[in-house]
Amino acid sequence: MNKQEKERYLREYGILKAQGKPFFPYAVAKDGAMAILVMVVILAMAIILGAELGPKADPTSTTYTPRPEWYFFFLFELLKVIKPPELVPFATIGVPTVAMILLFLLPFYDRNPERRPERRPIATTAGILTIAAMGYLTYLGAAAGPPTEIDIPVPANVKAQGPAAVADFEAGAQVVAQSGCAACHKFGENGNDGPGPELTEIGQRLPAPAIERTLLNPTAPMPSYAGVQQDSPEQFAQMVTFLSELKAEE
Amino acid sequence: MPKLKVPSPPAPLQPKPKRPGKKTGPEGPVEHGHEATASTIGWIDERTSLSGAGRWMMFRKVPKGTNWFYTLGSATMFAFLSQAVTGVVLAMYYEPEPTRAYESIRRINNEVFLGELVHAMHKWGSTVMVILIFLHMGRTFFFGAYKYPRELNWVIGVVLLILTMTMSFTGYLLPFDQRSYWASIVGVNINGTGPLVGPYLSDFLRAGPYFGATTLSRFYAIHMMAVPGAIAALIGFHLYLVAKLGTTAPPWIRAEAPEATREEKVAA
Amino acid sequence: MPERKQPKSKYTTDRQIPGAFEGETVTRRRFMSGTGLAVGGIASAAFALPALGFALGPVFEEFDQPWQPVGKITEFGSDTYVARTITLVPEIGDAGKSTVFMRRFNPAVDTEDRDEYNEYIAVSSACMHLGCPVNYVSSSQRFICPCHGGVYDFVGKVAGGPPVRPLDRFYTRVRAGIVEIGPRFSVNSELQRFSPRDPGEPLDGVGQYLYPSTPDLRKLDTN
Repeated sequence: MNKQEKERYLREYGILKAQGKPFFPYAVAKDGAMAILVMVVILAMAIILGAELGPKADPTSTTYTPRPEWYFFFLFELLKVIKPPELVPFATIGVPTVAMILLFLLPFYDRNPERRPERRPIATTAGILTIAAMGYLTYLGAAAGPPTEIDIPVPANVKAQGPAAVADFEAGAQVVAQSGCAACHKFGENGNDGPGPELTEIGQRLPAPAIERTLLNPTAPMPSYAGVQQDSPEQFAQMVTFLSELKAEE
Repeated sequence: MPKLKVPSPPAPLQPKPKRPGKKTGPEGPVEHGHEATASTIGWIDERTSLSGAGRWMMFRKVPKGTNWFYTLGSATMFAFLSQAVTGVVLAMYYEPEPTRAYESIRRINNEVFLGELVHAMHKWGSTVMVILIFLHMGRTFFFGAYKYPRELNWVIGVVLLILTMTMSFTGYLLPFDQRSYWASIVGVNINGTGPLVGPYLSDFLRAGPYFGATTLSRFYAIHMMAVPGAIAALIGFHLYLVAKLGTTAPPWIRAEAPEATREEKVAA
Repeated sequence: MPERKQPKSKYTTDRQIPGAFEGETVTRRRFMSGTGLAVGGIASAAFALPALGFALGPVFEEFDQPWQPVGKITEFGSDTYVARTITLVPEIGDAGKSTVFMRRFNPAVDTEDRDEYNEYIAVSSACMHLGCPVNYVSSSQRFICPCHGGVYDFVGKVAGGPPVRPLDRFYTRVRAGIVEIGPRFSVNSELQRFSPRDPGEPLDGVGQYLYPSTPDLRKLDTN
């Protein structure tokens, strides 16, 4: 903004201000109404949602799934999305620091005198994209299930085979979850996307005998589940059944 | 429109009819009250000259077109005031000690009168404050309100945003349940991934190599004293600049030249 | 515009100040403003520096890591891990405890040199991405972190996800048939021992210099 533009803005603003109304009582009345609304929302949330306390902090726990407060979900998801270990400092420190510096210096690199959002296409697009990206990461973070559980609804064709098949399917899901498969494979909303392929529809691609062969003689880095077959053949069979029933819904 | 009549005050409060020959002056409790208020304000103003600043702050004009979007800033400040008050009363019962923190919060929830309500207000108030501060920043961004001459106020606003996030991070540990413990561990380790200074920073936050006896009181002191003081001071400066520079008009409002100049143009 | 004042000469003699002498530049006003700033600075430093030192103190204080018994030698096999609870920080109850996974040294999988401190392997349960609690899943022989998708293989090396180095370990020794756990140490991807680092701090390549170990926690001096 050069000197002339500055003067033009100040002149125009002076006229607008002179045509305006006094802060008290006109703006104060609006602010007050908003303050009441804020308090009503806080009180309503406090009364309806309460302040439930989880179990006491236990550093020895190895089964707890930590999750942050919702407004840090985007950061949490960012840490999940950036996989290569060499890039971890970029996700934890780099991206947030750069974002903060960009935010700090905004008035110093955006020197366009125009203020109307529709005439600042770059700034407006960048703003909307940032909000959309944060919203999307927040959604992903909120939807992410722990890799120690698998919630996949029982498919219709398994239901049709009667309650015994449903029980088998659910038992298989539990065995798969406890065997740590979701650490490397994605199952619907649960599990990690990689290093292994997504298994949400594995039954579509591999028949049961092929799944069994893969579990017994996998390619590295996947471990062999031959131990499970030796110790508890029933659980191993449930695992294979569950995986072979994972098909796309028609 | 017919106006409602203001009901007259009850008989003992009504001014007594003046007796002939008596001096004029305040009569009755209402007039006395008015007089007392006015003289108290006068007494203070004579010694502080604050009434000018008050008038400057309150009776400044806000430009044409000011709408509900402009209440987001004051709403954020109001949420902060609510957090400050509920926080102070929570501090009366809370014990920042690893073996007692969880129990003291449970006592607040279950035994203290209105304890769970105040705790819940503080907890959800933080959510509301974070939402409001982001909405306020979004409004400022899309209205171009960070531009000349308000650049410095934007920078202060970003500092306030960071301090608010610091508050939610440090406050998160205090209930000392599983969720807060592990979130704090991850948060401290995130600080530790900064090259060179990171390891020292995370040791500073934890007061040692592990989560220890004084980690909780360290977070508590930052949450209770250091950051709120900074936030209050910066809000004051933020508001001073708002009053001095004036709030912006919505960007699509154009100034019409005042009547007088328009007539001159026609004449010319 | 008013005429700008002629800048005054910096020499007191030029300004005809009584008692001035040749070459003198410090006026009474200059002296007093300097004094004011210096006095204010000294007074602020007098409370700010001790407060800063007080807050930073624990970073430079050496942390005590005593040996503690975790069980008899017969309790630990060489082909699976057994979880044990140890105390990292005394006197704060459960908040100072942690879980370690223990097994006997297994020449079939362990490639590092054998010495008196690794007859039994004790693996920390803190994920080396950002410190979440990992769990050992015996059917897949993997350590799995529930936060951001870290996976470690049987010896604790990274098998997938974002962790930057293998799981930390503890020195162990055997005293009268009892396995004891001592100080913690970090390892790089070749399982070389380093002074303990926090999670998220890589040790390969320049990592060990970018993330120095802090004076409060050092590895055992084994030489």
